[in-house]
Amino acid sequence: MDDFYSKLADILEVETVKPDDVLREFENWDSLTALSILATLDANYGINLSTAELRDIKTVAELGATIATRRRK
Amino acid sequence: MSDASNPFSLQGRRVLVTGAASGIGLATSTLVSKLGGRLLAVDSNEEGLNRAIATFEGNHHETKCWDLRLVEQIPSWLRQAAAESGPFFGLVHAAGLSCIQPVRLLDPSCYRDVLLVNTEAALALVRGFQQKKAADPAGGSIVFLTSVMGLVGSAGAAAYGMSKGALVGLAKSLSVELAAKKIRVNCVAPGFVKTPMFDRLSGLWESEQRAQVEAAHPLGLGEPQDVANAVAFLLAETGRWITGSVMVVDGGYTAH
Repeated sequence: MDDFYSKLADILEVETVKPDDVLREFENWDSLTALSILATLDANYGINLSTAELRDIKTVAELGATIATRRRK
Repeated sequence: MSDASNPFSLQGRRVLVTGAASGIGLATSTLVSKLGGRLLAVDSNEEGLNRAIATFEGNHHETKCWDLRLVEQIPSWLRQAAAESGPFFGLVHAAGLSCIQPVRLLDPSCYRDVLLVNTEAALALVRGFQQKKAADPAGGSIVFLTSVMGLVGSAGAAAYGMSKGALVGLAKSLSVELAAKKIRVNCVAPGFVKTPMFDRLSGLWESEQRAQVEAAHPLGLGEPQDVANAVAFLLAETGRWITGSVMVVDGGYTAH
């Protein structure tokens, strides 16, 4: 999961991300950033998350939990 | 050989199509088979190829499961394929990878495969196709599937657009160089077409984004068949005086 947090920090252009961080409160959050997260999940982890599903995810920790659940399937 | 009374005929012509297991490659292969062509259908998805060949008309087609990232091996593979089953008249490079990322995330590991499959493989395929032992001595026709993203821009499409725009330049120089061998080289530039690649991409969009993309096509989104028709036109005798061109098949996407 550390690897994903590092990738997420790259996408959001911040040094690090913390579990309680709210995705939409990052300074450069926009539709292309959201698309990048979905594309990264698909390319690196084989996880197909929809835009609607991402919209329901509020924090970094919630996103991490979703990934962990999907990877176990 | 080809039926002189029907300029659309590909009767007896051997045509190699990449990306033949799905989307535009599959629609093109199916149409080529209906027009009498003999296919070498190429894809990295063996299961998909087996499903595809069952839908082709006629029973003289072949498939090849091949990873187009192996560009160095493509010319010798084509020479061998020609030695085994006859020279090629047509080549359609429809295989392609998509890449939607903002520029700040475009490191080489992200776009390398896109360039390899979309662009470098096209060049390697032509290097193989134009060899004396691989090309039909009567001449031939090559069609690259580029994209409106190789002609106009869209946020997040830099790598994909780079790979597709390069195909246009490649086709133009090759068309001049290969004219002496009676080989024509053209591009077809589709807009957004309802393919598995599009489904994957549009699954990432908000519903309003999808509506905006649809609205940008005055004639609506395309079907793979719409693009296959243009490819077949350029392959067949109908395209005999066309080379180095880009046929835009986009439902009006680039008209405004």
